[in-house]
Amino acid sequence: MMEQTQKTDVIVTEGVTKVYTADGIPVNALNGIDLTIQSGEFTALVGPSGSGKTTFLNIISGLDNPTAGKVWLAGKILSEMGGNELSDFRRDNIGFIFQAYNLIPVLTVEENIEYIMLLAGVPKAERHERVLAMLEVVGLRGVADRTPTQLSGGQQQRVAIARAMVSEPAIILADEPTANLDSKTGADLLEMMRHLNGETGMTFIFSTHDPMVMENAQRLITLRDGQIDSDKAK
Amino acid sequence: MILKIAFRNIFRQKRRTILTALAMIVGFTLLSLTIGLSDGAYGGIIEMFTRNRTGHIQVHRAGYLDKPSLYETIDGYAAIGETIQGTAGVDAWTPRVYAAGLGSVGEKSTAVQIIGVDVAREIQATRFNNKVVEGRVLGEAASHEAVIGKGLAKVLSAKVGREIVVFSQGADGSLANDMYKIVGIAESGDDPTDRTACYLHIEDAQELFVLPGRAHEIVVIVSKINQVDKVRNAFEAKFNNSPLDVAPWQVIAKSFYRAMKADQQGDAIARWVIMLIVAIGVLNTVLMSVLERTREYGVLKAVGTKPTQIFWLVICEVVVIALGSICVGALLGIFVNYVLSIYGITYPEEITYGGMKFKTLYAEVNIRCLIIPAITVLLSAAVVSLFPAIKAARIMPAKAMRTH
Repeated sequence: MMEQTQKTDVIVTEGVTKVYTADGIPVNALNGIDLTIQSGEFTALVGPSGSGKTTFLNIISGLDNPTAGKVWLAGKILSEMGGNELSDFRRDNIGFIFQAYNLIPVLTVEENIEYIMLLAGVPKAERHERVLAMLEVVGLRGVADRTPTQLSGGQQQRVAIARAMVSEPAIILADEPTANLDSKTGADLLEMMRHLNGETGMTFIFSTHDPMVMENAQRLITLRDGQIDSDKAK
Repeated sequence: MILKIAFRNIFRQKRRTILTALAMIVGFTLLSLTIGLSDGAYGGIIEMFTRNRTGHIQVHRAGYLDKPSLYETIDGYAAIGETIQGTAGVDAWTPRVYAAGLGSVGEKSTAVQIIGVDVAREIQATRFNNKVVEGRVLGEAASHEAVIGKGLAKVLSAKVGREIVVFSQGADGSLANDMYKIVGIAESGDDPTDRTACYLHIEDAQELFVLPGRAHEIVVIVSKINQVDKVRNAFEAKFNNSPLDVAPWQVIAKSFYRAMKADQQGDAIARWVIMLIVAIGVLNTVLMSVLERTREYGVLKAVGTKPTQIFWLVICEVVVIALGSICVGALLGIFVNYVLSIYGITYPEEITYGGMKFKTLYAEVNIRCLIIPAITVLLSAAVVSLFPAIKAARIMPAKAMRTH
């Protein structure tokens, strides 16, 4: 399994199960998911609300722990990493795009985007250069000094995309990235991500309800009741 | 960047920052005030006690303090006094002769403590003139005058203008008796002393007890009370090969000193209570802040911030607020203590401490009023922020980002 992962598989899950306890009652969010995602894929996780899409994204990124099962990410078992190691690993390998943008409110657009590079120790001049280039890519030239609250929802999501991609991680995980956007902004952003996927070979995994995202995905994985209902390559 | 985020969070959450800072500022000022008043009160008591009675340092013939005796005298005290006066830090010195005797006024007699004083020096050193509440102080030249304690005057039904006859024994074994005109009534603030005290001019006392050029005690006043140890060490070096003992006021007035120390420990408990209240207030606001920003910490962790960096972020914020609060608290503390050092707090009724009476409590402005509260606020803030910082550092990002 590990050898295979080290070659082309960026994400491998084996029997991933997650059980939440709500008011003392156990709820099975994921039921033994086995899945392999290869580098460069543009994959959409779909399914009704409560099917386990977000939980699965959280677990394959190490934001949450599975109740049972294992996750290999870029060849490493997430559950075997300590807190600081896992943070470094996420910083270097994963870019996140959240439905609610989740920008850091006290930092400017430029500071939000450069934050991950700063943690990684990228020199200041290079950070500045890459931030400006990324703002150009996401179409936000001229807003570098604004704070998130001074931007529209679409602009904030563009900043979130820029933040996720600026350090050129191997994997981009996007949780309902177009859910809070109007259809035109959503389409523009999707086109941009599709373009980046083609240009850089980054792996994109979306959880989505958006038919537009589903149409653009190369692979469509449907979850239902915490299990894979279908897995279709297009 | 962590420091930058910390600073921006402090200014973004103004209300929370003000609440946290207020808890710290009030705590600092209260603590500073408590220390200022305590130091002021004890400083005043020590000053009054030493100035009125013991002086800051006393010099005796070796063994006199443990077993006072008419015969254990300092010979040639004038020359020793000159040596004392020449020591750095010495403000004044005064010699005394002590002897027990029987005092009679008219038909009434009682035991008296005769204290022979060098009037000019005693006034300079212990403000002897201030003790005289009726009549006048002794003349500067010996002229068979006496000032007696208020309590003694009552026992003997003596008044200014009457004569007191003193009976005792001279150092040569002869019967010592003489008559002195009462020119004043003294009140030292210590009732037991005032019930027996009979002050004579030192030369009259030396003549009465046949102790020419001799004294039992030299009382020394230093310029600043915190120099007592330094001056005492200088005396000990100078009197190394002489039969003299040098004792600071803490040794001379052991029981008073111990009682005061015990009292100060009681004050320390009050300070701990204030510190605890400050710490709980800070813990409350910091915890509130961490809970409010659970989602933000989740995001920071999700994008790669290490748990240790989150930990330091929380600590940084609290320490920065603490440092700001210390600056404001220091200004307030100095101001309040300064005002109270001038105007004081007047008691509704006079209080007595160590036999001395006080009507007003004055604060003192000193470095302790700043250093102790500063260390307390900084340490308690850092310590109480540990728990919220650990909590923030251990947040599970997925769970944290679900909170609103």
